[in-house]
Amino acid sequence: MSKQPIEEWMERHRKEPDIVVKEKAERFLKAVELKEPDRVPLMFFTCGHVFAKWFKLSEVYFNYSKMRDAIVKFVTTFPSDIFIAAPAAEGFVLAVAFADVPQIAPVVRFITGPMHDILKDKWTRWPGRELAEHLPFQFIGGEYMKPEEYKYLIENPVEFIHNTILPRACENLSKPGSAQHAHTIAKLALEAINYLNALTEINNTLLKLGFPPLAITFAYAPLDFIGDFLRHPTGAMLDIRRRPDEVKQATEALIKPILQVAFILKPTGAKFAFIPLHLNSMLSPKLYDEFYWPYLKRVITELYSNGIKSFVLFEGDHTPHLDTILELPKGWGIGVFERGDIRKIKEKLEGHTCVAGGILPGQLIGWSPEKIEEYVRELIKDLAPGGGFILAPGIAEIDPAIPDANLRALINAVLKYGARK
Amino acid sequence: MSLSEEMVRAIVELDESRAIEIAKKRLEAGEDPLKILDDLRRAAEIIGEKYERGEYFVSDLVMAGEILKGISEIVRPKLKELGVSRKVVGKLVIGTVEGDIHDIGKNIVVTMAEAAGFEVIDLGVDVPPQRFVEAIKQHNPDIVGMSGLLTLAIDSMKRTVDAIKEAGLRDKVKIIIGGGRVDQHACEYVGADAWTNDASQGIRIMLKWMEEKKR
Repeated sequence: MSKQPIEEWMERHRKEPDIVVKEKAERFLKAVELKEPDRVPLMFFTCGHVFAKWFKLSEVYFNYSKMRDAIVKFVTTFPSDIFIAAPAAEGFVLAVAFADVPQIAPVVRFITGPMHDILKDKWTRWPGRELAEHLPFQFIGGEYMKPEEYKYLIENPVEFIHNTILPRACENLSKPGSAQHAHTIAKLALEAINYLNALTEINNTLLKLGFPPLAITFAYAPLDFIGDFLRHPTGAMLDIRRRPDEVKQATEALIKPILQVAFILKPTGAKFAFIPLHLNSMLSPKLYDEFYWPYLKRVITELYSNGIKSFVLFEGDHTPHLDTILELPKGWGIGVFERGDIRKIKEKLEGHTCVAGGILPGQLIGWSPEKIEEYVRELIKDLAPGGGFILAPGIAEIDPAIPDANLRALINAVLKYGARK
Repeated sequence: MSLSEEMVRAIVELDESRAIEIAKKRLEAGEDPLKILDDLRRAAEIIGEKYERGEYFVSDLVMAGEILKGISEIVRPKLKELGVSRKVVGKLVIGTVEGDIHDIGKNIVVTMAEAAGFEVIDLGVDVPPQRFVEAIKQHNPDIVGMSGLLTLAIDSMKRTVDAIKEAGLRDKVKIIIGGGRVDQHACEYVGADAWTNDASQGIRIMLKWMEEKKR
């Protein structure tokens, strides 16, 4: 029996990782530049849940060397062109809180397991802590700001987050001025250095295995910041009706610290700003155009004019808001789309936006390998021409329930049918 | 325009303060609280239709839910006082499945289902399969609703349906699954009777089931 494409590719990863790295980097950049690469790139993005296939999640999330082992196991079993692992929870609020400490801010942008132990934050829940050992961490956010406190957020977002939000949302920061508070901040800073070292090591390991690192920084949609960390999404959605002016002023006030965080990594060569969206698909075009988009647009265009393209995760079905994307400068970045008709999305955005997406976790879990192969073949046939397309399953997670054979079928199909005609 | 029509309109237009003001006025005027609840059902139906047509979005449903809840809370003491209760169209046991602790979607369904006349038993979040089974035994519902945002929820839903089958209760209930990452493939995999990522469509499916059951 002849070798599957995935096996040949993995062999090349082992034999000539340098060449593979170069090929992948070029493939990705071509797609981002809205051109047709030599082959449709495949992107895998995980927050670590898929590691449950082989490891106990409570161990992976709380032990950086286990995390590295898990990442190595995944990439050497299921190779891709672009691999992003963020095995840590949403914590952009911490990056804003420490925006003036550039050594720490980008590192605490994700809350890792050990950071959660140090802070005892209520935004996130973790396996082996608040959740069963086999479950992935979960971001639940919560309401830590009262509706009548918008004025303080508007006045000075960073101060307000430090003085009011962190003490409410993190048990170990609950008493500013106490020894416990000082110890917690010191421990968090040390942990940030530990994590940075671990990330550097993981990136070096990946590079040796044929996986190029992405030069990434981070930004956020201002209204999501309010929904995710301060008012809970439900609260934010009610506030835009009950206190529209204050919400607008607060989103305006948040642009500056968000950009400050994003630019910290610019001197290190960051080329892409990762921006996960949450409230986007929940808002009507009217509310989106008034409360969400103008502020996000300013973040994206400001980054773009400073040489940083945005890497936006459009959660849910972004179809009702697609036209707004065309207001951005051509080549502004990459849009990863979770739902909606990917063919229509590509058609609308072709020549303007690099479009990523195409297959859903439900399809990958439930379909046969043959059906996946056929689906991917047709998808590539329709979407590869014209360039600027990256195939990606889902948005930020690969479900461990997806059978190995199905993930292999996906990779095989991209390798088999993805080459430029 | 009657106060009843005005209230329905205020709810549909998501004018919270006006809707609540009219509800209070109607109760003060001694109107039958059951009629007010009936108007909530009508308003929820119209809002649901608007959602299905793509005119309304989740944030609109959240606001609508808040208004419906606000008015029911004003009406409830009055019902108690008068010793009357509303005719129940069906019984729904609902929960976010094991491993998932997200509840925005579930809460919308709970409010809309109550407005539609369902008796809702809300099991909360991170509900293990066995608790669904126990709740079915205890409450004898017509319908079981399973919600989940995370992709892992799909597998949890399957385990829950399997547990219901093992307990010999599968034929007793209709099962509907809902959530951001639920689709037809997930529905088939899970072994549910219907799926939706649209709360109002979910309510319509459930109402249709109740109609069919009556026949």
